[in-house]
Amino acid sequence: MNRNFSQIITVTCANPAPMLELVAEWDLNQATSDLMGYMGTRVLADREKFGRYLVIVDFGVVDPNVPAADEAARNNARPETRAFALRMRETLDADPEYHHYDEIYRTDR
Amino acid sequence: MNANPTLGVADDDVDETTFVARGVATAVAPDTGLTDAQTDLLEAITHAVAGVSIDFRALEPVGPQEFAEVLRSRRLDDRQRIVHQMVLGELMLRPIPVVVAHRVAMYAEALGVNDDFVRVARRYAQGAFGLAWLDLQHKGFLDHVREASGQRPSHPFDPAQVDPDLAARWTAFADLPVGTLGRGVWELYIGRGFGIPGTEGGAPVYLAQHDFVHVLADYGTNLKGELEVFGLISRADPDPKGFAWLATLIGLFETGYISSAGFFDRDVRERHVRAPGMQLRLADAIRRGKVVCDCYGADLFEVDYHALADRPVEEVRTLLRMPPKSSGAIEEGSVGAFDLEGMSEAQRRIAAQRHGDAT
Repeated sequence: MNRNFSQIITVTCANPAPMLELVAEWDLNQATSDLMGYMGTRVLADREKFGRYLVIVDFGVVDPNVPAADEAARNNARPETRAFALRMRETLDADPEYHHYDEIYRTDR
Repeated sequence: MNANPTLGVADDDVDETTFVARGVATAVAPDTGLTDAQTDLLEAITHAVAGVSIDFRALEPVGPQEFAEVLRSRRLDDRQRIVHQMVLGELMLRPIPVVVAHRVAMYAEALGVNDDFVRVARRYAQGAFGLAWLDLQHKGFLDHVREASGQRPSHPFDPAQVDPDLAARWTAFADLPVGTLGRGVWELYIGRGFGIPGTEGGAPVYLAQHDFVHVLADYGTNLKGELEVFGLISRADPDPKGFAWLATLIGLFETGYISSAGFFDRDVRERHVRAPGMQLRLADAIRRGKVVCDCYGADLFEVDYHALADRPVEEVRTLLRMPPKSSGAIEEGSVGAFDLEGMSEAQRRIAAQRHGDAT
């Protein structure tokens, strides 16, 4: 079974526009560069707490011999990912919180 | 396997075609073996393009290194088109198993082919559909439009800008004699209620180029006809990147991977490529495209059809070296651009309404 992996990042910022712009730029760069496990990102706005967002970054299997979590670790080690994280931090009001999950159920699979 | 004697295929060509088929079949087969849709399409293409009948299910497997070694002397374009055949085989699967997409990538790498569509198919297999669509647009269409125009491209599927001069040029096609290319395209648009380029809601300028090909190649405008048109256009392009059109159309109409491309909306209620006879029709379109590529050698999206609009359709076909449809494709239901059977339900309703208005 190809188990996906998700990194869930909790962030706070008064204005999400610069963060969203960065994410869109990241997506475009990822789409047209070498294949990694990165699948895409969803950004969710908290309806109860204004200015708080969940950034859900999904990774999937692209090589049957490499788990999605390992693909995410490889992605994390890349210089461009590090640089992106620094730029992202500049758009936020506080340090983000990171949590990591293996997908164990999905309706459409 | 059998050579087609009417095409004068030499034994050496049969051997090489069979060897290529072995690699393609090995690369794209899921664990359970090639599906019916895969075999039907791959066999039809091989027969139409190479004139060789091959039973893809009976082929001996060949690994990527041996495959690449034997094909080492082939030109890069040829190797890339072999990889595209593999990608086409993958796109017949839903979902694409990761192991198949990964295997195709190994064959491409061994062949020295760094191809965007291998990556797109791997993204499909991964489930990264949004990223695949971004990739397809930017490496497939937008680069192509950029190269053609030398300008920053608008999206080829975006609605046309209102442009009275452009609309006037299209409207002038109505005054051309019956049987000319321009008059044919005008009738195609009016008969189906298509928006004229340059008018509000009109067809995108770049994409409207393919409507001239509907008339020239004599293909309908329902989804099966669109697959034929884009099969021909994709293979006619001397740049293998033209494969983006066929890959996208199959994504739109067959797999449901792409939700919408603006001007076209997906319709996966019916499996169009898997419909009876459709594999042969698509294969014949690809064959016709290959002849145009070999003998005319220009991207059909870049032809100045406006300059040819006052010429008879047959004369423009000859200019582009576009061969007629095969009798087999016609027998399998490949209808003409103006046949009711070649229209979608909505287009038929409009055609019937216009016919009623006129009588």
